[in-house]
Amino acid sequence: MNGRFTLNIFVALVAAFLVFPILAIVPVAFSAQSFIRLPPESWSLRWWGAFFQDASWKLTLVTSLKIATLTTCVSVLAGTAAAFGISRCSPRSRTLLTGLFLGPVMVPTIVLAVAMYSMGRATGMVGTITALVIAHTMLALPFVILNVAVSLDSLDQRFILAASGLGAGSVRIFRTVTFPLVSPGIVGGGIFAFVTSFDEVVLSIFLSGPNVKTLPVRIWEEIRLEYTPVVAVGATLMLLLALIAATMNRISKNK
Amino acid sequence: MIMSTVKFSSVSKYFGSVCALSQTDLEIRNGEFLTLLGPSGSGKTTLLNICAGYTQPTSGKVLIGDKDITDLPPRLRNMGMVFQSYALFPHLTVKENVSYGLQARKIKPNEISQRVIEILRMMQLEGYENRQIRELSGGQQQRVALARAMVIKPEILLMDEPLGALDRQLRKEVQLEIRRLHLNHPRTTIYVTHDQEEALVMSDRIVVMRQGKIIQSGTGSDLYERPDNTFVARFLGESNLLEGVVSEVTGTVALLDVPGLSKKITGRAAKGLKVGARASALLRPETIQYQSGGIAAVVLETVYLGELIATKLKLSSGHEVWTRRLAGEFNHREGVEVGWDETRVSILPDVSHQQL
Repeated sequence: MNGRFTLNIFVALVAAFLVFPILAIVPVAFSAQSFIRLPPESWSLRWWGAFFQDASWKLTLVTSLKIATLTTCVSVLAGTAAAFGISRCSPRSRTLLTGLFLGPVMVPTIVLAVAMYSMGRATGMVGTITALVIAHTMLALPFVILNVAVSLDSLDQRFILAASGLGAGSVRIFRTVTFPLVSPGIVGGGIFAFVTSFDEVVLSIFLSGPNVKTLPVRIWEEIRLEYTPVVAVGATLMLLLALIAATMNRISKNK
Repeated sequence: MIMSTVKFSSVSKYFGSVCALSQTDLEIRNGEFLTLLGPSGSGKTTLLNICAGYTQPTSGKVLIGDKDITDLPPRLRNMGMVFQSYALFPHLTVKENVSYGLQARKIKPNEISQRVIEILRMMQLEGYENRQIRELSGGQQQRVALARAMVIKPEILLMDEPLGALDRQLRKEVQLEIRRLHLNHPRTTIYVTHDQEEALVMSDRIVVMRQGKIIQSGTGSDLYERPDNTFVARFLGESNLLEGVVSEVTGTVALLDVPGLSKKITGRAAKGLKVGARASALLRPETIQYQSGGIAAVVLETVYLGELIATKLKLSSGHEVWTRRLAGEFNHREGVEVGWDETRVSILPDVSHQQL
């Protein structure tokens, strides 16, 4: 019993250690003071007002959402197609291709950022939404491929045999059996892709320009100039979005 | 009248150098319920999958009537398949599962719903149309799988151990249900199982398989009363096998010299029995009875089975045999004298001593 009690304390401490710094940012966003202090002495929504009245903050939020949405679309389409392709390969080329697709996640992000930046400079694409979408897709694609591949692997081949035995051709089988059964994996991969793009900083710092800037980049720039709770508002918004994504992921898995 | 006979002509299947099915010839008559019976690895499922088109044979041909379907893909074969784990589409309702094959055949929606209602009524699944598959019991899922396979009016019905997941009581009920259904609407059916009881209850004909080969085929009573060898004898029903040497074969009768027994055992001579060869006498448990002046025996063990009592006897020769008699006949007597009905004894070549 004593050991169990100690274990519970330990687990609670680890959980607090992991979660507390993240949650600490939330009260700051509701502070009435002009600087970040924990806990805030009085409460207000003034920094939320400041955030949403400032066109440049709003623009970065919209840019982030736009880039994340585009990244999700591109990586879901390409990643799903890639996962289906890989599943039909021989075991050897399957290992090879999976390794290739997972490459960007293994390479240190800063290396990737420098490489992307020099490519962007050469093509004049730095500071464009296209460049950011391409860069984010490189990081998001593996999550989609992995999620869809897991769903495909766990798909019982007998469903396919049963459908073909009942007279369905390959297009019908894909539409009525394979796709619906794999779709939770596609949705899960899409959510991962969205979150990956939405909170990506390193590549975004390198590829952002004066007109195209994502929310995390703006937060990073802001905090170096002014240490005000408006930064906490931005961070809280990001936290909220991550929470929504995690909940959606749970719902789609349980369905 | 469609002639839905199935003919396997010199069909074989190798996976690399591993033989799953040796060259096999088999014909299934129109409307016949044929069971492929054998242990795992006997090639029975391979043969079924070749018929369904899920497995391409290494050699040989499959014919329906006189049409060669060897290279026809499964979707063009018009066969209904019931899988071992049913393979019901988990994301579709009962109705959607059952109508799947009809939709694939582009049948008009109102005819589809009519046929689905009809088959669900036949399967006693009325009111379950909109249920999800996971909400159904094993027995209900089994009936949905059968309905999905039958609603397309297949020429051939194929079933791969469809009752394996059901408990014993339910399995017995479903066996009789399938049998009744077959007698009312005879349809060429190939049924795969390793359960001898299932095979005996449902089949018009049973094909016993082992290691990729057909060992014997015939009706249930053919196989039970007149097995060709000890493998079939062991696989169908309980058997006592007394080993010895064949001393005489005259026509259909053989004499077996069993060490320890003063009298040679007389019985029906199975195919391929040779004088001087090792063989076994098959004594079914129900043929051994109390007989004064017979062979002396000691009761070792009795097992109460309800209407029957199984008794393990040790003969004076040292052989141990099981009997099955109506309750009360041996009555825990320590010493008894037993004999058997000679007309029901078979002398069988022993398969474990020869390459099959």
